[in-house]
Amino acid sequence: MDPEKIKKALLEKFPEKIEEKEVCDFSPALQVDKDIILEVSRFLKGSKELSYDLLSCMVGVDRGDGFEVIYCLFSFEQKHKLTLKVPLPKDNPEIESVTPVWNAANWHEREIAELFGIKFLNHPDPRGILLPEDWDEGYPMRRDWEGRDFVRLPEK
Amino acid sequence: MTEELRTEEFEVNMGPQHPSTHGVCRFVLKMDGEQIVDLVPHVGYLHRALEKIAENRTYLQYIPFTDRIDYVSAMFCNYGFCLALEKLAKVEVPERAEYIRVIMMELNRIASHLIWLGTFALDIGAVTPFLYAFREREKIMDLFEMVCGQRMTFNYMRVGGVSRDLNPEFIPKAKEFTDYFEPKVDEYEDILTNNPIFLARTKGIGVLPKKLAIDYSVTGPNLRATGFKWDLRKNEPYSVYDRFSFEIPTGGNSDTWDRYMVRIREMREANRIAKQALEQIPEGDFRKKVPVLFKPPAGEVYTRVESTRGEMGFYIISDGTTKPYRVKLRTASFSNLAVLPEITKGCLIADLVAIFASFDVIMPDVDR
Repeated sequence: MDPEKIKKALLEKFPEKIEEKEVCDFSPALQVDKDIILEVSRFLKGSKELSYDLLSCMVGVDRGDGFEVIYCLFSFEQKHKLTLKVPLPKDNPEIESVTPVWNAANWHEREIAELFGIKFLNHPDPRGILLPEDWDEGYPMRRDWEGRDFVRLPEK
Repeated sequence: MTEELRTEEFEVNMGPQHPSTHGVCRFVLKMDGEQIVDLVPHVGYLHRALEKIAENRTYLQYIPFTDRIDYVSAMFCNYGFCLALEKLAKVEVPERAEYIRVIMMELNRIASHLIWLGTFALDIGAVTPFLYAFREREKIMDLFEMVCGQRMTFNYMRVGGVSRDLNPEFIPKAKEFTDYFEPKVDEYEDILTNNPIFLARTKGIGVLPKKLAIDYSVTGPNLRATGFKWDLRKNEPYSVYDRFSFEIPTGGNSDTWDRYMVRIREMREANRIAKQALEQIPEGDFRKKVPVLFKPPAGEVYTRVESTRGEMGFYIISDGTTKPYRVKLRTASFSNLAVLPEITKGCLIADLVAIFASFDVIMPDVDR
Protein backbone atom coordinates (compact mmCIF):
# COMPACT_ATOMS: atom_id res chain seq x y z
CA MET A 1 0.00 0.00 0.00
CA ASP A 2 1.06 3.51 -0.74
CA PRO A 3 2.56 5.37 2.30
CA GLU A 4 0.03 8.20 1.94
CA LYS A 5 -2.85 5.75 2.20
CA ILE A 6 -1.41 4.10 5.31
CA LYS A 7 -1.09 7.49 6.94
CA LYS A 8 -4.67 8.36 6.01
CA ALA A 9 -6.05 5.07 7.30
CA LEU A 10 -4.39 5.63 10.68
CA LEU A 11 -5.32 9.29 10.91
CA GLU A 12 -8.93 8.46 10.23
CA LYS A 13 -9.01 5.74 12.85
CA PHE A 14 -7.13 7.65 15.56
CA PRO A 15 -7.56 11.37 14.95
CA GLU A 16 -5.44 13.86 16.89
CA LYS A 17 -3.22 11.19 18.41
CA ILE A 18 -0.92 10.72 15.44
CA GLU A 19 1.74 12.97 14.01
CA GLU A 20 4.00 12.62 11.02
CA LYS A 21 7.77 12.02 11.41
CA GLU A 22 10.63 11.07 9.15
CA VAL A 23 12.76 7.93 8.95
CA CYS A 24 14.93 7.17 5.96
CA ASP A 25 14.26 3.85 4.19
CA PHE A 26 11.47 2.76 6.55
CA SER A 27 8.64 5.16 5.83
CA PRO A 28 5.98 6.17 6.59
CA ALA A 29 6.96 7.13 10.12
CA LEU A 30 4.30 8.22 12.56
CA GLN A 31 4.38 9.44 16.11
CA VAL A 32 1.72 7.88 18.28
CA ASP A 33 0.37 8.77 21.69
CA LYS A 34 1.48 6.22 24.29
CA ASP A 35 -2.04 5.66 25.67
CA ILE A 36 -3.27 4.10 22.44
CA ILE A 37 -0.24 1.98 21.50
CA LEU A 38 -1.90 -1.37 22.19
CA GLU A 39 -5.03 -0.33 20.35
CA VAL A 40 -3.01 0.92 17.36
CA SER A 41 -0.94 -2.29 17.33
CA ARG A 42 -4.04 -4.47 17.31
CA PHE A 43 -5.47 -2.40 14.48
CA LEU A 44 -2.23 -2.53 12.46
CA LYS A 45 -1.98 -6.28 12.73
CA GLY A 46 -5.68 -7.07 12.44
CA SER A 47 -6.69 -4.79 9.59
CA LYS A 48 -6.85 -6.62 6.26
CA GLU A 49 -5.38 -3.77 4.20
CA LEU A 50 -2.55 -3.11 6.62
CA SER A 51 -1.78 -6.56 8.14
CA TYR A 52 1.57 -5.69 9.73
CA ASP A 53 2.59 -9.18 10.75
CA LEU A 54 6.33 -8.72 11.32
CA LEU A 55 7.72 -6.66 14.18
CA SER A 56 11.19 -6.34 12.72
CA CYS A 57 12.76 -4.28 15.46
CA MET A 58 12.12 -2.31 18.61
CA VAL A 59 14.41 0.54 19.58
CA GLY A 60 14.69 2.43 22.83
CA VAL A 61 16.11 5.94 22.69
CA ASP A 62 17.02 8.42 25.40
CA ARG A 63 16.31 11.85 23.93
CA GLY A 64 17.65 13.72 26.94
CA ASP A 65 14.35 15.38 27.81
CA GLY A 66 12.44 12.12 27.56
CA PHE A 67 12.45 8.65 26.10
CA GLU A 68 11.18 7.16 22.92
CA VAL A 69 10.25 3.64 21.91
CA ILE A 70 10.36 2.91 18.19
CA TYR A 71 8.61 0.00 16.48
CA CYS A 72 9.69 -1.03 12.98
CA LEU A 73 6.87 -2.95 11.33
CA PHE A 74 6.63 -4.79 8.08
CA SER A 75 3.85 -6.60 6.27
CA PHE A 76 4.79 -9.72 4.30
CA GLU A 77 1.41 -9.71 2.60
CA GLN A 78 1.26 -6.08 1.50
CA LYS A 79 5.04 -5.51 1.37
CA HIS A 80 4.85 -2.19 3.13
CA LYS A 81 6.72 -0.75 6.07
CA LEU A 82 5.91 1.47 9.00
CA THR A 83 7.88 3.09 11.79
CA LEU A 84 5.92 3.93 14.92
CA LYS A 85 7.46 6.33 17.41
CA VAL A 86 6.13 6.71 20.90
CA PRO A 87 7.52 9.51 23.09
CA LEU A 88 7.63 8.87 26.83
CA PRO A 89 8.21 11.30 29.72
CA LYS A 90 11.58 11.46 31.49
CA ASP A 91 10.10 10.69 34.88
CA ASN A 92 8.50 7.33 35.33
CA PRO A 93 8.42 6.18 31.68
CA GLU A 94 5.74 3.54 31.25
CA ILE A 95 4.10 2.00 28.23
CA GLU A 96 1.75 -0.87 27.55
CA SER A 97 3.49 -4.03 26.32
CA VAL A 98 2.67 -5.13 22.77
CA THR A 99 3.71 -8.74 23.38
CA PRO A 100 0.07 -9.92 23.14
CA VAL A 101 0.06 -8.64 19.54
CA TRP A 102 3.55 -9.67 18.37
CA ASN A 103 5.40 -12.26 20.43
CA ALA A 104 8.64 -10.92 18.99
CA ALA A 105 8.23 -7.89 21.26
CA ASN A 106 8.80 -10.04 24.34
CA TRP A 107 12.61 -10.09 24.31
CA HIS A 108 12.93 -6.62 22.80
CA GLU A 109 10.85 -5.15 25.60
CA ARG A 110 12.83 -7.00 28.23
CA GLU A 111 16.00 -5.56 26.75
CA ILE A 112 14.68 -1.98 26.60
CA ALA A 113 13.27 -2.23 30.12
CA GLU A 114 16.59 -3.40 31.46
CA LEU A 115 18.86 -0.99 29.62
CA PHE A 116 16.69 2.16 29.68
CA GLY A 117 14.50 1.66 32.72
CA ILE A 118 11.30 1.95 30.72
CA LYS A 119 8.49 -0.05 32.31
CA PHE A 120 6.37 -2.22 30.07
CA LEU A 121 2.98 -2.74 31.67
CA ASN A 122 1.42 -6.21 31.60
CA HIS A 123 4.55 -7.81 30.18
CA PRO A 124 4.27 -11.60 30.57
CA ASP A 125 7.89 -12.12 31.64
CA PRO A 126 9.40 -8.92 33.09
CA ARG A 127 12.87 -10.29 33.90
CA GLY A 128 16.14 -8.78 32.76
CA ILE A 129 17.86 -10.32 29.77
CA LEU A 130 21.35 -9.10 28.90
CA LEU A 131 22.87 -7.75 32.12
CA PRO A 132 24.17 -9.90 34.99
CA GLU A 133 21.54 -11.02 37.49
CA ASP A 134 23.13 -9.00 40.32
CA TRP A 135 23.50 -5.78 38.29
CA ASP A 136 22.79 -2.72 40.42
CA GLU A 137 24.46 0.13 38.56
CA GLY A 138 21.39 1.66 37.02
CA TYR A 139 20.29 1.80 33.40
CA PRO A 140 23.41 1.81 31.20
CA MET A 141 21.86 2.97 27.93
CA ARG A 142 20.62 6.25 29.40
CA ARG A 143 22.64 9.20 28.15
CA ASP A 144 23.41 10.45 31.67
CA TRP A 145 24.59 7.05 32.93
CA GLU A 146 28.01 7.00 34.52
CA GLY A 147 29.84 3.74 34.88
CA ARG A 148 33.21 2.75 36.26
CA ASP A 149 34.77 2.19 32.84
CA PHE A 150 32.71 4.53 30.73
CA VAL A 151 33.94 8.02 29.98
CA ARG A 152 32.08 10.07 27.42
CA LEU A 153 34.59 11.46 24.94
CA PRO A 154 34.30 15.10 23.88
CA GLU A 155 33.09 15.96 20.39
CA LYS A 156 35.97 16.69 18.05
CA MET B 1 9.72 -51.77 50.23
CA THR B 2 6.58 -50.14 51.49
CA GLU B 3 7.28 -46.68 50.14
CA GLU B 4 5.14 -45.89 47.15
CA LEU B 5 6.89 -45.30 43.81
CA ARG B 6 6.32 -41.84 42.44
CA THR B 7 7.49 -39.64 39.58
CA GLU B 8 8.19 -35.94 39.54
CA GLU B 9 9.46 -33.25 37.23
CA PHE B 10 13.02 -32.13 37.74
CA GLU B 11 15.22 -29.28 36.55
CA VAL B 12 18.38 -29.68 34.48
CA ASN B 13 20.89 -26.96 33.79
CA MET B 14 22.45 -27.00 30.33
CA GLY B 15 25.30 -24.63 29.64
CA PRO B 16 26.60 -21.95 29.65
CA GLN B 17 29.75 -23.98 29.00
CA HIS B 18 28.22 -26.74 26.93
CA PRO B 19 29.72 -27.81 23.61
CA SER B 20 26.37 -27.88 21.81
CA THR B 21 25.30 -24.37 22.81
CA HIS B 22 27.63 -22.83 20.21
CA GLY B 23 28.95 -20.12 22.42
CA VAL B 24 27.79 -19.20 25.85
CA CYS B 25 24.10 -19.88 26.22
CA ARG B 26 22.39 -21.43 29.19
CA PHE B 27 19.13 -23.33 29.23
CA VAL B 28 17.22 -24.25 32.35
CA LEU B 29 15.14 -27.26 31.42
CA LYS B 30 12.19 -28.64 33.29
CA MET B 31 12.14 -32.33 32.48
CA ASP B 32 9.63 -35.12 32.72
CA GLY B 33 11.97 -38.07 32.30
CA GLU B 34 13.60 -37.52 28.90
CA GLN B 35 10.95 -35.07 27.77
CA ILE B 36 11.23 -31.31 27.99
CA VAL B 37 8.30 -29.69 29.79
CA ASP B 38 9.67 -26.18 29.79
CA LEU B 39 12.78 -24.44 28.56
CA VAL B 40 14.07 -21.07 29.75
CA PRO B 41 17.00 -19.61 27.81
CA HIS B 42 19.39 -17.35 29.70
CA VAL B 43 21.43 -15.11 27.43
CA GLY B 44 23.69 -12.13 27.94
CA TYR B 45 26.97 -13.84 28.79
CA LEU B 46 28.58 -12.19 25.78
CA HIS B 47 26.97 -8.78 26.18
CA ARG B 48 29.69 -6.30 25.24
CA ALA B 49 27.47 -3.22 25.11
CA LEU B 50 28.23 -2.62 21.45
CA GLU B 51 25.31 -0.18 21.28
CA LYS B 52 26.70 1.88 24.14
CA ILE B 53 30.20 1.87 22.65
CA ALA B 54 28.74 3.35 19.45
CA GLU B 55 27.84 6.56 21.29
CA ASN B 56 31.51 7.15 21.93
CA ARG B 57 33.07 6.32 18.57
CA THR B 58 33.17 8.03 15.21
CA TYR B 59 31.43 6.22 12.36
CA LEU B 60 34.71 4.96 10.93
CA GLN B 61 35.90 3.79 14.34
CA TYR B 62 32.71 1.80 14.82
CA ILE B 63 33.14 -0.40 11.73
CA PRO B 64 35.58 -2.82 13.47
CA PHE B 65 33.02 -3.20 16.26
CA THR B 66 30.39 -4.34 13.78
CA ASP B 67 32.72 -7.26 12.97
CA ARG B 68 32.18 -8.50 16.49
CA ILE B 69 28.39 -8.62 16.27
CA ASP B 70 28.30 -11.81 14.27
CA TYR B 71 31.91 -12.79 13.86
CA VAL B 72 31.11 -15.79 11.67
CA SER B 73 29.56 -13.60 8.97
CA ALA B 74 31.19 -10.28 9.71
CA MET B 75 30.95 -9.00 6.12
CA PHE B 76 27.20 -8.63 6.49
CA CYS B 77 27.53 -6.59 9.68
CA ASN B 78 30.12 -4.36 7.98
CA TYR B 79 27.87 -3.98 5.00
CA GLY B 80 24.64 -3.34 6.90
CA PHE B 81 26.22 -0.53 8.87
CA CYS B 82 27.74 1.10 5.78
CA LEU B 83 24.55 0.68 3.77
CA ALA B 84 22.48 2.43 6.43
CA LEU B 85 24.89 5.37 6.47
CA GLU B 86 25.02 5.51 2.69
CA LYS B 87 21.25 5.72 2.58
CA LEU B 88 21.15 8.41 5.25
CA ALA B 89 23.88 10.53 3.67
CA LYS B 90 22.88 9.64 0.09
CA VAL B 91 26.36 8.44 -0.83
CA GLU B 92 26.62 6.85 -4.24
CA VAL B 93 28.79 3.78 -4.33
CA PRO B 94 30.93 2.92 -7.40
CA GLU B 95 29.82 -0.15 -9.29
CA ARG B 96 33.04 -2.06 -8.77
CA ALA B 97 32.74 -1.59 -5.01
CA GLU B 98 29.23 -3.06 -5.05
CA TYR B 99 30.47 -6.10 -6.94
CA ILE B 100 33.36 -6.58 -4.53
CA ARG B 101 30.90 -6.38 -1.64
CA VAL B 102 28.58 -8.95 -3.17
CA ILE B 103 31.47 -11.35 -3.81
CA MET B 104 32.68 -10.95 -0.23
CA MET B 105 29.22 -11.38 1.25
CA GLU B 106 28.39 -14.48 -0.73
CA LEU B 107 31.75 -16.08 0.04
CA ASN B 108 31.11 -15.21 3.65
CA ARG B 109 27.68 -16.82 3.44
CA ILE B 110 29.29 -20.04 2.25
CA ALA B 111 31.93 -19.89 4.98
CA SER B 112 29.30 -19.30 7.63
CA HIS B 113 27.05 -22.09 6.38
CA LEU B 114 30.09 -24.38 6.35
CA ILE B 115 30.73 -23.71 10.03
CA TRP B 116 27.06 -24.35 10.68
CA LEU B 117 27.12 -27.59 8.69
CA GLY B 118 30.20 -28.86 10.49
CA THR B 119 28.94 -28.12 13.98
CA PHE B 120 25.40 -29.24 13.25
CA ALA B 121 26.60 -32.62 12.01
CA LEU B 122 29.01 -32.83 14.93
CA ASP B 123 26.21 -32.22 17.41
CA ILE B 124 24.23 -35.03 15.87
CA GLY B 125 27.23 -37.33 15.99
CA ALA B 126 28.79 -37.21 12.52
CA VAL B 127 32.40 -36.09 12.70
CA THR B 128 33.42 -36.32 9.04
CA PRO B 129 31.36 -33.38 7.66
CA PHE B 130 33.08 -31.13 10.19
CA LEU B 131 36.46 -31.96 8.70
CA TYR B 132 35.18 -31.55 5.15
CA ALA B 133 33.50 -28.23 5.92
CA PHE B 134 36.56 -26.76 7.55
CA ARG B 135 38.73 -27.88 4.66
CA GLU B 136 36.70 -25.72 2.25
CA ARG B 137 36.25 -22.89 4.71
CA GLU B 138 40.00 -22.63 5.00
CA LYS B 139 40.20 -21.74 1.31
CA ILE B 140 37.64 -18.96 1.74
CA MET B 141 39.53 -17.62 4.73
CA ASP B 142 42.67 -17.53 2.58
CA LEU B 143 40.79 -15.50 -0.01
CA PHE B 144 39.65 -13.04 2.64
CA GLU B 145 43.14 -12.77 4.01
CA MET B 146 44.40 -11.97 0.56
CA VAL B 147 41.92 -9.10 0.23
CA CYS B 148 41.83 -7.48 3.65
CA GLY B 149 44.57 -9.12 5.70
CA GLN B 150 42.13 -10.68 8.13
CA ARG B 151 40.60 -14.10 8.35
CA MET B 152 37.68 -13.34 10.61
CA THR B 153 37.10 -9.78 11.76
CA PHE B 154 37.55 -8.14 8.41
CA ASN B 155 36.92 -4.42 8.89
CA TYR B 156 36.81 -4.33 5.10
CA MET B 157 33.82 -2.21 4.07
CA ARG B 158 33.72 1.56 4.27
CA VAL B 159 31.04 4.13 3.74
CA GLY B 160 31.17 4.56 -0.03
CA GLY B 161 32.98 1.35 -0.91
CA VAL B 162 35.63 -0.97 0.49
CA SER B 163 38.92 -0.24 2.22
CA ARG B 164 41.19 -1.44 -0.58
CA ASP B 165 40.94 -2.79 -4.09
CA LEU B 166 41.12 -6.47 -4.92
CA ASN B 167 44.53 -8.03 -5.13
CA PRO B 168 45.23 -8.88 -8.83
CA GLU B 169 45.54 -12.56 -7.92
CA PHE B 170 42.19 -12.57 -6.18
CA ILE B 171 39.81 -12.98 -9.12
CA PRO B 172 41.50 -16.04 -10.69
CA LYS B 173 41.91 -17.60 -7.23
CA ALA B 174 38.28 -16.95 -6.36
CA LYS B 175 37.09 -18.35 -9.68
CA GLU B 176 39.16 -21.42 -9.03
CA PHE B 177 37.46 -21.75 -5.65
CA THR B 178 33.91 -21.45 -7.01
CA ASP B 179 34.65 -24.23 -9.52
CA TYR B 180 36.24 -26.33 -6.83
CA PHE B 181 33.41 -25.81 -4.35
CA GLU B 182 30.47 -26.78 -6.54
CA PRO B 183 31.01 -30.57 -6.46
CA LYS B 184 32.02 -30.43 -2.80
CA VAL B 185 28.43 -29.72 -1.76
CA ASP B 186 27.48 -33.07 -3.30
CA GLU B 187 30.05 -34.67 -1.04
CA TYR B 188 28.37 -33.27 2.07
CA GLU B 189 25.03 -34.39 0.77
CA ASP B 190 26.35 -37.90 0.13
CA ILE B 191 27.21 -38.23 3.78
CA LEU B 192 24.11 -36.67 5.30
CA THR B 193 21.04 -36.08 3.18
CA ASN B 194 19.76 -39.64 2.91
CA ASN B 195 21.66 -41.14 5.78
CA PRO B 196 19.12 -43.17 7.85
CA ILE B 197 20.59 -42.11 11.19
CA PHE B 198 20.59 -38.49 10.12
CA LEU B 199 17.01 -38.76 8.89
CA ALA B 200 15.89 -40.32 12.16
CA ARG B 201 17.46 -37.46 14.09
CA THR B 202 16.08 -34.65 11.91
CA LYS B 203 12.87 -35.61 10.04
CA GLY B 204 9.80 -34.27 11.80
CA ILE B 205 11.87 -32.93 14.69
CA GLY B 206 11.38 -29.37 15.93
CA VAL B 207 8.62 -28.29 13.60
CA LEU B 208 8.29 -24.52 13.50
CA PRO B 209 4.97 -23.50 11.89
CA LYS B 210 5.09 -20.51 9.57
CA LYS B 211 2.63 -18.46 11.61
CA LEU B 212 4.63 -18.91 14.78
CA ALA B 213 7.84 -18.05 12.94
CA ILE B 214 6.44 -14.74 11.70
CA ASP B 215 4.91 -13.96 15.09
CA TYR B 216 8.37 -14.27 16.64
CA SER B 217 10.06 -12.44 13.73
CA VAL B 218 12.10 -15.49 12.77
CA THR B 219 13.81 -14.72 9.48
CA GLY B 220 16.41 -16.11 7.13
CA PRO B 221 16.82 -19.81 6.32
CA ASN B 222 14.70 -20.75 9.34
CA LEU B 223 11.75 -18.86 7.88
CA ARG B 224 12.38 -20.18 4.38
CA ALA B 225 12.37 -23.72 5.74
CA THR B 226 8.69 -23.23 6.55
CA GLY B 227 8.05 -22.97 2.83
CA PHE B 228 7.78 -19.19 2.81
CA LYS B 229 9.67 -17.68 -0.09
CA TRP B 230 11.17 -14.54 1.39
CA ASP B 231 14.62 -13.21 0.83
CA LEU B 232 15.53 -9.54 1.00
CA ARG B 233 18.08 -10.03 -1.77
CA LYS B 234 15.22 -10.90 -4.10
CA ASN B 235 12.24 -9.12 -2.57
CA GLU B 236 13.89 -5.80 -1.76
CA PRO B 237 17.08 -5.91 -3.79
CA TYR B 238 19.94 -3.84 -2.45
CA SER B 239 23.47 -3.46 -3.82
CA VAL B 240 23.58 -5.17 -7.24
CA TYR B 241 21.69 -8.33 -6.34
CA ASP B 242 19.06 -7.66 -9.00
CA ARG B 243 21.65 -8.38 -11.70
CA PHE B 244 22.22 -12.02 -10.82
CA SER B 245 20.04 -15.03 -11.38
CA PHE B 246 19.59 -17.21 -8.34
CA GLU B 247 16.88 -19.21 -6.63
CA ILE B 248 15.46 -18.87 -3.14
CA PRO B 249 15.51 -22.36 -1.64
CA THR B 250 12.52 -23.16 0.55
CA GLY B 251 11.39 -26.14 2.59
CA GLY B 252 7.92 -27.47 3.23
CA ASN B 253 7.79 -29.31 6.53
CA SER B 254 9.74 -26.71 8.52
CA ASP B 255 11.52 -29.40 10.51
CA THR B 256 15.19 -29.77 11.30
CA TRP B 257 15.86 -31.59 8.05
CA ASP B 258 14.30 -28.78 6.03
CA ARG B 259 16.46 -26.22 7.77
CA TYR B 260 19.45 -28.37 6.85
CA MET B 261 18.36 -28.69 3.23
CA VAL B 262 17.64 -24.98 2.80
CA ARG B 263 21.15 -24.10 3.94
CA ILE B 264 22.76 -26.74 1.75
CA ARG B 265 20.93 -25.35 -1.27
CA GLU B 266 21.74 -21.81 -0.22
CA MET B 267 25.42 -22.64 -0.37
CA ARG B 268 24.99 -23.66 -4.00
CA GLU B 269 23.08 -20.45 -4.77
CA ALA B 270 25.65 -18.29 -2.98
CA ASN B 271 28.35 -19.98 -5.03
CA ARG B 272 26.34 -19.23 -8.16
CA ILE B 273 26.03 -15.55 -7.28
CA ALA B 274 29.73 -15.29 -6.48
CA LYS B 275 30.55 -16.92 -9.80
CA GLN B 276 28.39 -14.47 -11.77
CA ALA B 277 29.76 -11.50 -9.87
CA LEU B 278 33.33 -12.61 -10.54
CA GLU B 279 32.54 -12.82 -14.26
CA GLN B 280 30.79 -9.46 -14.45
CA ILE B 281 32.94 -7.33 -12.16
CA PRO B 282 33.76 -4.04 -13.91
CA GLU B 283 36.89 -1.92 -13.66
CA GLY B 284 36.72 1.37 -11.83
CA ASP B 285 36.94 2.92 -8.40
CA PHE B 286 36.67 0.73 -5.34
CA ARG B 287 35.61 3.55 -3.07
CA LYS B 288 33.98 6.91 -3.23
CA LYS B 289 35.99 9.45 -1.28
CA VAL B 290 34.26 10.20 2.00
CA PRO B 291 35.89 12.30 4.75
CA VAL B 292 37.47 10.34 7.60
CA LEU B 293 35.39 12.34 10.07
CA PHE B 294 32.23 11.42 8.22
CA LYS B 295 29.22 13.51 9.24
CA PRO B 296 25.88 12.25 7.95
CA PRO B 297 23.03 14.76 8.10
CA ALA B 298 20.87 14.71 11.21
CA GLY B 299 18.17 12.10 10.79
CA GLU B 300 17.20 8.51 11.33
CA VAL B 301 17.51 5.43 9.18
CA TYR B 302 16.56 1.79 9.44
CA THR B 303 17.87 -0.68 6.88
CA ARG B 304 17.80 -4.43 6.71
CA VAL B 305 20.05 -6.81 4.82
CA GLU B 306 19.71 -10.55 4.36
CA SER B 307 22.58 -11.91 6.42
CA THR B 308 23.41 -15.58 6.79
CA ARG B 309 21.02 -15.91 9.72
CA GLY B 310 18.24 -13.65 8.54
CA GLU B 311 17.40 -10.01 8.79
CA MET B 312 20.28 -7.90 9.99
CA GLY B 313 18.98 -4.42 10.72
CA PHE B 314 20.66 -1.18 11.72
CA TYR B 315 18.67 1.66 13.24
CA ILE B 316 20.95 4.68 13.30
CA ILE B 317 20.07 8.07 14.75
CA SER B 318 22.44 10.81 13.70
CA ASP B 319 22.50 14.25 15.28
CA GLY B 320 24.76 15.64 12.58
CA THR B 321 28.00 15.19 14.52
CA THR B 322 30.85 12.77 13.88
CA LYS B 323 29.45 10.24 16.35
CA PRO B 324 26.14 8.42 16.15
CA TYR B 325 23.53 9.42 18.72
CA ARG B 326 22.17 5.90 18.86
CA VAL B 327 22.88 2.68 16.99
CA LYS B 328 20.46 -0.19 17.44
CA LEU B 329 21.53 -3.56 16.12
CA ARG B 330 18.69 -5.78 15.05
CA THR B 331 20.24 -9.21 14.87
CA ALA B 332 18.64 -12.29 13.43
CA SER B 333 19.83 -14.69 16.12
CA PHE B 334 18.13 -12.66 18.86
CA SER B 335 14.70 -13.27 17.38
CA ASN B 336 15.48 -16.76 16.16
CA LEU B 337 16.47 -17.89 19.65
CA ALA B 338 13.37 -16.39 21.29
CA VAL B 339 11.12 -18.91 19.55
CA LEU B 340 13.03 -21.93 20.88
CA PRO B 341 10.99 -22.46 24.10
CA GLU B 342 7.80 -22.66 22.01
CA ILE B 343 8.92 -25.45 19.72
CA THR B 344 10.91 -27.62 22.12
CA LYS B 345 8.06 -28.41 24.50
CA GLY B 346 7.52 -32.16 24.48
CA CYS B 347 10.80 -32.86 22.67
CA LEU B 348 13.46 -35.22 23.91
CA ILE B 349 16.54 -33.62 25.39
CA ALA B 350 18.68 -35.15 22.64
CA ASP B 351 16.47 -33.46 20.05
CA LEU B 352 17.00 -30.10 21.67
CA VAL B 353 20.64 -30.34 20.67
CA ALA B 354 19.68 -31.05 17.05
CA ILE B 355 17.02 -28.33 16.94
CA PHE B 356 19.21 -25.69 18.51
CA ALA B 357 22.06 -26.51 16.14
CA SER B 358 19.72 -26.37 13.14
CA PHE B 359 18.68 -22.82 14.09
CA ASP B 360 22.22 -21.62 13.52
CA VAL B 361 22.22 -19.21 16.44
CA ILE B 362 25.46 -17.37 17.14
CA MET B 363 25.62 -16.12 20.70
CA PRO B 364 27.55 -12.84 20.16
CA ASP B 365 24.84 -12.04 17.63
CA VAL B 366 22.20 -12.49 20.35
CA ASP B 367 23.97 -10.61 23.13
CA ARG B 368 25.73 -7.89 21.14
